[in-house]
Amino acid sequence: MAILIDKNTTVLIQGITGGEGRKALERMKDYHTRVLCGVTPGKGGQEVDGTPVYNSVREALEKHKVNASLIMVPPLAAKGAVLEALDAGLRTIVCVTENIPLADAAVMVRRAREVGAVLIGPGSVGVMSPGLGRMGPIGGPRDVLERVYEKGNVGVISKSGGMTNEVSFVVRQAGLGQSTAIGMGGEMLVGSAYADLLRLFEKDDETKAVVLFGELGGTYEEEVARLLKNKEFTKPLIVFIAGKFAERIAPGQQFGHAGAMIERGKGKPSEKMRMLKSAGAIVAERFEDIGLLVRDAL
Amino acid sequence: MKLYEFEGKELLAKAGFAVPKAVLLENVQDAPFLPCVVKAQVLFGKRMKQGLVKVCKTQDEFSDAMTVLGKDVNGEKVEHLLVEELVNIKKEYYVSFCYDTETRGAVLLFSEEGGIDVEEIGTVKKVPLSELHLLKTEVNVLAQIKRLADVFVKSDCRLLEINPLAVDGTGTMIAVGAMVELDDAAQGRQKWQYPPRFAIRSERELEVKKANDVDHHGTVKYVELDGDIGVLAAGGGASLTCMDALVAAGGRPANFSEFSGNPTAEKVYTLARAVMTKPGVGGLWIVGAVANFSRVDVMMEGIIRALKEVNPKFPVVVRRAGPYEAEGLQMLRDAAKENGWDVEVHGSETGLTATAKVIVEKVKKWQS
Repeated sequence: MAILIDKNTTVLIQGITGGEGRKALERMKDYHTRVLCGVTPGKGGQEVDGTPVYNSVREALEKHKVNASLIMVPPLAAKGAVLEALDAGLRTIVCVTENIPLADAAVMVRRAREVGAVLIGPGSVGVMSPGLGRMGPIGGPRDVLERVYEKGNVGVISKSGGMTNEVSFVVRQAGLGQSTAIGMGGEMLVGSAYADLLRLFEKDDETKAVVLFGELGGTYEEEVARLLKNKEFTKPLIVFIAGKFAERIAPGQQFGHAGAMIERGKGKPSEKMRMLKSAGAIVAERFEDIGLLVRDAL
Repeated sequence: MKLYEFEGKELLAKAGFAVPKAVLLENVQDAPFLPCVVKAQVLFGKRMKQGLVKVCKTQDEFSDAMTVLGKDVNGEKVEHLLVEELVNIKKEYYVSFCYDTETRGAVLLFSEEGGIDVEEIGTVKKVPLSELHLLKTEVNVLAQIKRLADVFVKSDCRLLEINPLAVDGTGTMIAVGAMVELDDAAQGRQKWQYPPRFAIRSERELEVKKANDVDHHGTVKYVELDGDIGVLAAGGGASLTCMDALVAAGGRPANFSEFSGNPTAEKVYTLARAVMTKPGVGGLWIVGAVANFSRVDVMMEGIIRALKEVNPKFPVVVRRAGPYEAEGLQMLRDAAKENGWDVEVHGSETGLTATAKVIVEKVKKWQS
């Protein structure tokens, strides 16, 4: 079945007339995904590559049966776009827009939780269910996608977009395929963190193991340790945590994603690895070990 | 962006909060009033412990406190001194607002005991902003906290820390210490006019920062470290992974770098030149994950331009993959052949971190 995207998924793109929105549309149509319409305020009535554009989500939903929204709007418009989708009743939202003010991200995340919606991102590269479809630019052009992704039984979660691809590629090179791969977003506040997504993977029959790519900073990996201890995720979980060098060389400096910073002694990769290992995760010491560990776990 | 204390207090004063009476000094002069507190304006915390905050009762003490002006402290130049009146503190609180991944929202950190070591004492309570009404403290303190929370959100702060929030002899609440960090992502709507600031370690860091700010097509980041292997890494997660692999392979990175989000060739060029021209660099490692939308040919255009300018004798090792991978990698192979550079090129057939030990060995050999 995969998670988040299945054969019944129909998508609306908010920000469809922008450069990134057009590119996402092209990539999604090129890969099994049913994008029925788009929204850009003030551009209702236009078409993008044959896909109709509406002024508002409500207006679009009057004409089309859509159950998911992809957000590709500018950063300062993202909060409004997500709230509009939630208010119109959509319950699966992928927000690719990054560099969103924290005050806005906090509102989006809270509202999504209140109404019980799944919000991926902000700052997500997208969601890919091989063979079923993708939301967002994840996987890139078809030739790259075909090399990296293949329908299979391994779930992939990463904050980083590039590493969502790279980890999926490692899974593929180990002779396996992916059920769903998710770029959860590198921003400090995201709608769905590792633990939330692992709960979805737990319920998915097709997923037999999950690879989690973690990073220094924040507490999202700590939530995973609690989840494992409470037996809320019981499948093999292979974990890699990046950023050990920062502990040694330059603590307090921000590297990589906005969420990646060791503050007041919190968020150290070594500590995350220790906690996850003691909670029962299979922790890869080196990135190149991931492939073998996944194969052994299945 | 971190604000200097005087800027943070200006922000609070504008929002209607009481701050100590103060004068900002850029040049040596006599004490505007005595007694007073002289505070060096730097962006890092724990100033009291480093002797950067001094209480002065006499002109001699004041003259002594002024000697820090113009000095370098922890890589920062002290350009301003904030001279404040002494507040007669009857009671002090610790009040700090920030964002928190555990609750995934804004939180208040609060203690009935303010002071310099409050974070270590362990009396600090964490309360989500949406549950402020549940905080147990005096009514007037809670009212003040709610107003501060409003400023924190509306002014797009990442951090707003008042320590101490003091009550003086007349019962007035005064923000005696203030640390403010603004959320850069909100620049577009706040239109802040603060001059740029960061601890600049070199001209190269400054150049990359400038190139990055030219437009919003992708980002480039560059931070200098103490080693000898230049690193040109793509992607937020991959850059971290590759730094770890380099260190594990016995290499010493000369810098951290990251470029992502399909940056222009111009940006990649500036970053590549900075990485290669750092004195003492004995090798270059160009590395990144299988990109989703950053074009390999575009980044190679920028890198080749920098290589031509620097014309390196040191070894270069590459692992890059993604859109237009074959075209991009071929461009680099051709340029290397034409100019006689020592470049070893790998694509997606090689693992992300597998080339770490290759560059480490090559640099060792080249240096001996």
